[in-house]
Amino acid sequence: MASELAPTEIVALARLIDELDYYQLLHLRRGASISEVKQAYHFSSRAFHPDANRHLSANLQAAVATIARRITEAYSVLRDPGRNKAYLQHLEAGHGVRMQLSEARAEAGRRAVEQKGRTPQGRQYYNLAEAELRREDFAAAARNLQTALTFEPDNEFFKAQLKEAREKIR
Amino acid sequence: MGKVIGIDLGTTNSCVAVFENGESHVIANTEGARTTPSIVAFTPSGEKLVGQIAKRQAVTNPENTIFAVKRLIGRKHDSDEVKRFSSFAPFKVEKSENGDAWVQVKDRAYSPQEISAMILSKMKDTASDYIGEPVEDVVVTVPAYFDDSQRQATQDAGKIAGLNVLRIINEPTAAALSFGLGDSQNRKLAVFDLGGGTFDISILEIANGVFEVRSTNGDTYLGGEDFDQEICSHILNEFKAEHGLDLRTDKMALQRIKEASERAKHELSSCEETDVNLPFIAADESGPKHLTTTLTREKLEELVRDLVERLVSPCKLALEDAGLRREEIDEVILVGGMTRMPIVERKVVEIFGKAPNKGVNPDEIVASGAAIQGGVLKGEVSSVLLLDVTPLSLGVETQGGVATKIIERNTTIPTSSGQVFSTTEDDQTVVSIHVVQGEREMAADNKTLGRFDLVGIPTAPRGVPQIEVSFEIDADGVVNVSAKDLGSGKSQAIRVTASGGLSEQDIESLVTEAEQHTQADRDRRDLVELRNKADGLVYSTERTLEEFAENVTAEDRKQLEAAIEKTRASVKGDDAVALRAVVDELSALTYKMTEQLYAELGGDDTE
Repeated sequence: MASELAPTEIVALARLIDELDYYQLLHLRRGASISEVKQAYHFSSRAFHPDANRHLSANLQAAVATIARRITEAYSVLRDPGRNKAYLQHLEAGHGVRMQLSEARAEAGRRAVEQKGRTPQGRQYYNLAEAELRREDFAAAARNLQTALTFEPDNEFFKAQLKEAREKIR
Repeated sequence: MGKVIGIDLGTTNSCVAVFENGESHVIANTEGARTTPSIVAFTPSGEKLVGQIAKRQAVTNPENTIFAVKRLIGRKHDSDEVKRFSSFAPFKVEKSENGDAWVQVKDRAYSPQEISAMILSKMKDTASDYIGEPVEDVVVTVPAYFDDSQRQATQDAGKIAGLNVLRIINEPTAAALSFGLGDSQNRKLAVFDLGGGTFDISILEIANGVFEVRSTNGDTYLGGEDFDQEICSHILNEFKAEHGLDLRTDKMALQRIKEASERAKHELSSCEETDVNLPFIAADESGPKHLTTTLTREKLEELVRDLVERLVSPCKLALEDAGLRREEIDEVILVGGMTRMPIVERKVVEIFGKAPNKGVNPDEIVASGAAIQGGVLKGEVSSVLLLDVTPLSLGVETQGGVATKIIERNTTIPTSSGQVFSTTEDDQTVVSIHVVQGEREMAADNKTLGRFDLVGIPTAPRGVPQIEVSFEIDADGVVNVSAKDLGSGKSQAIRVTASGGLSEQDIESLVTEAEQHTQADRDRRDLVELRNKADGLVYSTERTLEEFAENVTAEDRKQLEAAIEKTRASVKGDDAVALRAVVDELSALTYKMTEQLYAELGGDDTE
């Protein structure tokens, strides 16, 4: 619960919130995996969700609400692989810590084509891999990504996913 | 600390549960039923009836018996849904000053919020009677697919009923909470909720006590009432074909057919066929006409096929938005009375490819979950955290009337999102923003949430000022807007220019009015009780006088008889104060007499 943070720390964090990027908000390194994002978000929500903080004074509740909204804003961008990548680029280009939805959608849309595969077979094996990644069956995902890559050897997105899956197996 | 209750404010029935000792219990009303019809009636004598008692007199008082008001709440009078509703409602639906749909009863118009407040009050009283002390804190549920104005209106209804609404939560989410509480398993649920007036589908993931809604979809105008309506039309058409009489203009006949349709629908969930018998439904030159027909399940399923088809697409969209295939869903939970219908259940199996879980009570699980969320908000349950989503996209109108999305549907709440605005002309100092909710491409096709102006923008060439507007949705699903000038870093002034529903003042005056009504109701009840007491006292005193005729002195008798006469006269009037005075007088005299009697007769009872 947020009671782990002292009242002054909560207020200070709320005031600082406009300066923090989405990774910093969730205490994540850049390039964290989707399941890490989710775990971090659940952890932060336990601390900052308004439902868990109704015992606080009105002032502190307002500060907690500000933080809660912003960590969810971060989550909604980072949990989507396409938007996550787009956000990294956005940060690296120095466009500020917040990303507008229209921007995230356009970027994610461009990536979606690459992501889902350009060939029917690539798409088919990638879809299987995607489901396995969600189930956290990384070995099976790696096998299917490998197969997908035989149809689209230059698909950067598949390569990145395969690398990530392999790291997870270890 | 007072106890917290959860109320499922349904289209046709409502249910209340209390959270106590770490569990939630559904509470039966004074009539002994665990759900209460969401019906309010105004009798010719000016009395207000709520629940079963209102339903019972609907046939004889159709114009003043208000049902399914949830289908009107937070809607504009000119909307298609309201037009459809008014085309068959036996009561009048009127347009209020701000364009909302209200109901007209005799010479007074009521907002749907007020009618809902009367139902909420009844549920509140049910809970207070059970708990033995007044309750105030409540969690009220709404269909997941309700928009901002429907939620606000429901919250206002709670306020009018004198309740402290801790939170408005979504019905399927509440059901999931009740289903998954105390369950350590991680799993993915689909909650399929088909009630009296609305259809919701929600996909949730439960992991370590965190209930995360992944997506929700639905239709706020699809439910049991529509199924009843199909049966009704069929019976009416059949009768017309057979007798050449159109019963659509006869409100009383219509109400009888409506009730018979609902009954037939219920029976056909367990039987293959049922008879509809309505004697003396109409009369013409040849004499009285009776309505007798047989309805089979097969016929029913044919009548409602189109309605059932409309369940499919929201489910598919919800799965898609959750990023899940149907094989990945671990459990399908059925909520709402309409899921008892075999054709609906078959559709669910067809959509999700698995048999639904049958272990829950579809009528009670929502109220029970709402009470649990009440426990969470009161800090009595700390293991659970609910992460819900906003059901509809939030956007602003941009050039050419296009709706540009700022926060997408199925985004977890509370959340925020920033959007930078600028000027389109040199030295422009005001930028107007039109906030809309919905999925349509054009702003005009979506629902207006509000309009506001960014004012006092420093003069500059067009496109130079950069104002970041932060759109925020809080945990109740209510939308707020704040703005900041990115140039100066100062917060930017906002002027709200339009919103719907009831104003704060409206609500306050309604609260006062409701309280006065409560007072009036209480006074009336007190008077009735007093009259009963007076009658009882007169009777027992007379009996005593008769029995112990020789033991009572003539003087005492005279006094007593005078007091009895006064009481008798007073009982006929409406003056509670006067009645109380004579009752007190009579009972004092009676005491005196009995005391003397005991003393004289040397009764064993030593006081």
